[in-house]
Amino acid sequence: MHTSSPLKKEFLKKWMEGLQICCSSKKQMNVLERKKKIKLSADIAMASAKKTPTSWSNALISYARRNEEYMILTDQLLGPESQFNLQKSTDRMIGFHKRVQCKKILKRRNTYSAGKRTKKKTGHPRLISATLIAKRLVKKRTKVLKRLVPGGESMDEFSLIKEALDYILSLKVQVDVMRSVVTATEILSNEKSLKSVE
Amino acid sequence: MNGASPECHNNIPGNTTGGGGGEVSVFERQQARMKWQQQQQMLFNGNDHQVPNMLSAMQPSGLIGNFAIKPDPGIENGWPDFSYGDQLGYGSGFDHMNQNTHSRMTSFRPPLMADQTILQKNSSSASLSPKKRKAHENQKLKVVSEENGVKEKELKGCSDGDSTETSSKEKPKLTEAKKQEYIHVRARRGQATDSHSLAERVRREKISERMKYLQDLVPGCNKITGKAGMLDEIINYVQSLQRQVEFLSMKLATVHPRLDFDIDSLITTEMFVSGEVSAVGYSSEMANSTYLQLNSLLEMGTNPIDMVLRSIGSPVSIPETFVVSSCFNQIQPTVTWDADLQNLYRMELQHDTSTIPFQTQKFTGSYEGSNLKMEM
Repeated sequence: MHTSSPLKKEFLKKWMEGLQICCSSKKQMNVLERKKKIKLSADIAMASAKKTPTSWSNALISYARRNEEYMILTDQLLGPESQFNLQKSTDRMIGFHKRVQCKKILKRRNTYSAGKRTKKKTGHPRLISATLIAKRLVKKRTKVLKRLVPGGESMDEFSLIKEALDYILSLKVQVDVMRSVVTATEILSNEKSLKSVE
Repeated sequence: MNGASPECHNNIPGNTTGGGGGEVSVFERQQARMKWQQQQQMLFNGNDHQVPNMLSAMQPSGLIGNFAIKPDPGIENGWPDFSYGDQLGYGSGFDHMNQNTHSRMTSFRPPLMADQTILQKNSSSASLSPKKRKAHENQKLKVVSEENGVKEKELKGCSDGDSTETSSKEKPKLTEAKKQEYIHVRARRGQATDSHSLAERVRREKISERMKYLQDLVPGCNKITGKAGMLDEIINYVQSLQRQVEFLSMKLATVHPRLDFDIDSLITTEMFVSGEVSAVGYSSEMANSTYLQLNSLLEMGTNPIDMVLRSIGSPVSIPETFVVSSCFNQIQPTVTWDADLQNLYRMELQHDTSTIPFQTQKFTGSYEGSNLKMEM
């Protein structure tokens, strides 16, 4: 795997910081809450460990901030980093993009209804339908990808692919680090149990 | 970024007298432009930053002083050199356009400058917010289509025979090199010269380039060509990674009742298990104290397990042979746990890509490595 270890280090550090902040609140949490907190701090650590803030990292952080529970955590974790104080701009961007999308939908509806009456099928019908089917498939899948990648709604296809690449890389890092933490804790707990048995 | 600099270098010999805004003969300018074009062919490698000069080599326009390309403060990389090209009209590909309407040219200028800023920044990870980029790209496409339409009409109707011939010979090569340039896409031979299809082609080629990167990242994509299949693989992979994250965080949540992660012990066990150099990096960054302890211990020659046991709080005085045998005992349960984990993985992620089994196999590999280590 070509994941970089300084990124891993950075991620691990931030993640542990976040978890320490979490467990400083002394209430009892059940498994699901704990899991949420772990995942959240992992996500934020991932987003903040990047050197250049890309779109999905900003989106993640803005989503985390919107939820009031998590806002304190995120602010504490991020500290005085001003590069992530883009909440307002992301909101505006999302609003802008929604407006653009609405216009697109209206346009599409108009052209579709107009084109249906006047459309002529030139060329071999099978070929045309094949390309149409392919286009439809691609469109469907880009929609799905937009949902998957955080902050992907407000992006055109080209930058979506770039963001997806970036996101995949950081997810890989996240998975690696988490897995190694899991193995380490497992070993520790096994040893502890063995010790207690002895 | 490479594209701008040779052009600037050409600026200087061509405009040695023009530094103060003096007059340089149009012929000299043309020559400089031709030289620069040839240089461009060699240097250009998917470079985004093309100067509009390419097209302006044809027509020496009589209207010199009007094509002020005001250097946009957002533009770096040698565009400021155009400050003196201001009066010469050297830096403008607008020679033709000005023949149409001056007003239109002025309206083109600001979005074009913005486009060029975007082009420069596009190759690096974009610092422009997506909002601006989207607005600019909308404008850009319009500008591209209009400008392309205008320019190609002008080129076809060009009266200056020599320069058009040379430029048309260079056309096929240039378009190959310039397929990523927004402003100066030309029609290849035998293809539609419609401005819309040109923009479309540029877009498609960009996307296919990105797809190639993705093929490297996403495992198992080498055999698949075509956008739909690639997108499918990407989606599957992203989904599987996200599910893995969920699963691992759930697992951690079950193991830790209080979310207190003993960082020191984590690091030491990680060093022991994985044996990677990166783990040393972890410890040096995160817990300097443990690192120093580890160092001193390693110098004394004690087994790293000793350190781990120490951190848990067991008695320190353990002879080495005993430690080794106890290590053997300990590894076996972890191996069985590993098998359990593999089963869990397979249940959870059965319909995912083949990376998961690979990764679990990596697990066992590392365990075996650590086994060998302990035997030593």
